[in-house]
Amino acid sequence: MVEAFKNSWITFKSIFIGMGITIRHFFGKSVTLQYPDERPVLPNNARAKLYVNIDDCIGCNLCARACPVNCIYIDTVPSTSDVDLGKTSTGNPKRFWLTRFDIDMAKCMYCDLCVHPCPTNCIYMVSEYEYSEFNRTNLIYHFSNLEPAMVAEVKEKAANEAAEKQRQREEMMRKKAEEAKMKQIEAKKQAEEKNDGEKGSEPSKKENGDS
Amino acid sequence: MIEAITDSGERREMTINMGPQHPSTHGVLRLELVLDGEVVKHVKPHIGYLHRCFEKYAEQMDDYAKVIPYTDRMDYVSAMNQEHGYVLAVERMLELEVPERVEYIRVIMAELQRIASHLLGIGAFGLDLGAFTPFLYLFIEREKILDIFEKASGARLLYNYMAVAGLMRDVHPEFKDEVADFVKTFRPKIKELDDLLSYNKIFVRRTANIGVLPVKVALNYAASGPVLRGSGFKWDLRKNDPYSIYDRFDFDIPVGSGEMGSLGDCWDRYIVRVKEMEQSLRIIEQALDGMPDEGDVMAAIPKRIRPKEGELYVRTESPRGELGYYIVSDKSASPFRVKARAPSFVHLSMLPAISKGALIADIVAIVGSIDIVLGEVDR
Repeated sequence: MVEAFKNSWITFKSIFIGMGITIRHFFGKSVTLQYPDERPVLPNNARAKLYVNIDDCIGCNLCARACPVNCIYIDTVPSTSDVDLGKTSTGNPKRFWLTRFDIDMAKCMYCDLCVHPCPTNCIYMVSEYEYSEFNRTNLIYHFSNLEPAMVAEVKEKAANEAAEKQRQREEMMRKKAEEAKMKQIEAKKQAEEKNDGEKGSEPSKKENGDS
Repeated sequence: MIEAITDSGERREMTINMGPQHPSTHGVLRLELVLDGEVVKHVKPHIGYLHRCFEKYAEQMDDYAKVIPYTDRMDYVSAMNQEHGYVLAVERMLELEVPERVEYIRVIMAELQRIASHLLGIGAFGLDLGAFTPFLYLFIEREKILDIFEKASGARLLYNYMAVAGLMRDVHPEFKDEVADFVKTFRPKIKELDDLLSYNKIFVRRTANIGVLPVKVALNYAASGPVLRGSGFKWDLRKNDPYSIYDRFDFDIPVGSGEMGSLGDCWDRYIVRVKEMEQSLRIIEQALDGMPDEGDVMAAIPKRIRPKEGELYVRTESPRGELGYYIVSDKSASPFRVKARAPSFVHLSMLPAISKGALIADIVAIVGSIDIVLGEVDR
């Protein structure tokens, strides 16, 4: 009986202690953010979305290789000798047309591993976090600023130049091969002559051969 | 004991499923309960609902650094500790010394994460037993820790902050003040938690003498962390097998004493976590004092890490227990094998042993008290 009363008293007491704390919190400052009306301020280095400053990209593919989930797709076309793509703001010369620089944010796991290897600091995380979409394909962000026509032109030019180079190389190879052949023939001739000179002690055979 | 009896007079047992979509199974855990009335005769945990091939992924990665984000996702409640264990293992493999400052920041981060993890564990434990209020109040504190982490690393849950040989980025300039501020404001909150939950009569009645885990059983099941300490066994890898710079700090290992019921019950496991938070605060204070203000946060390492051939096992004390990484290297840039020894998995395997004869409502308390994270169980 005494035990039961004691227990109820302790229960009663602990409820009151709890209520006291709750009331203290009730009159304290609220910590809840009413989200759509108030928005949390993220720090500058928050990792919420990937952004690429395409003007600074040199197409080195390091970020795509560092990505553990392969969500960065980069296609490059080497620039032809008649255009100068200029330099990035960090002074690295640009040598590639970026025909495709896509990031699939649906696949991205925000690990920050692609940001660090970038030699020109052109890929980085920004703190924009409200970019939900109804369609998953809309989460693929296209950063390349080349028009499709431009891409085709650039590709054609590059292909032409590559073909030209290939042709030149083949030409050169052929020339080289010819030269080598000539040299070989000459060497053969010389050797034969030499042989002839050496074989001069056996005139009968040679004469036979000549006749 | 009430027994369900059929018309023919035979005792009838009933098998029911608890989970995988049960609010108190801490994720996707399915428990197959064999019941006699309300008394649980047998429990069989079914796992694998959250299996994400962590170990196979680790073998597929062509870089040791690429595994770190995946370790985060193992135990998403204590991501910093998971990273800490992994980077320590790789560093030991490379025989690498990291700068002093890095070690201190890592320890501070790991201990903050331990507090955050315990706050969630305790809060969810209370929530399972019907105490909604402490959960919300503890989340206020957890939010403060996550804010510090967000400022330092940029992410709130999966940080990928520790890198092999250092940290991904330096902490923000106000880091020290913020952490010191947090330590100061958090101490009174532990007292508040004690008043609100720990010594609350209803809570004590729900947890004391429930799910008693004798120390022998705990050792046989290779339990570790708060679960083992709750049974009264003094074992903490930070003290017993110091890694990083834990040997420099002065802190106690709280153990369960059977204060409210018998030794090794749910309440003991709970109170060990509460006391551990206090010890973590002590470690953080000492680390803040010792932390150098200036210095590099990255040791010089080659771009592609290729540890020499061999294998090693490194264990660390995560908030849930002994977290071990067994790594085999074949001298290439990708690990040949990464095996994680997850404490949650081990503790879940104990569940049938300690919940025999309990009521269904107590199963909820027992599962809450061993504080499992299903991401780590299934990996």
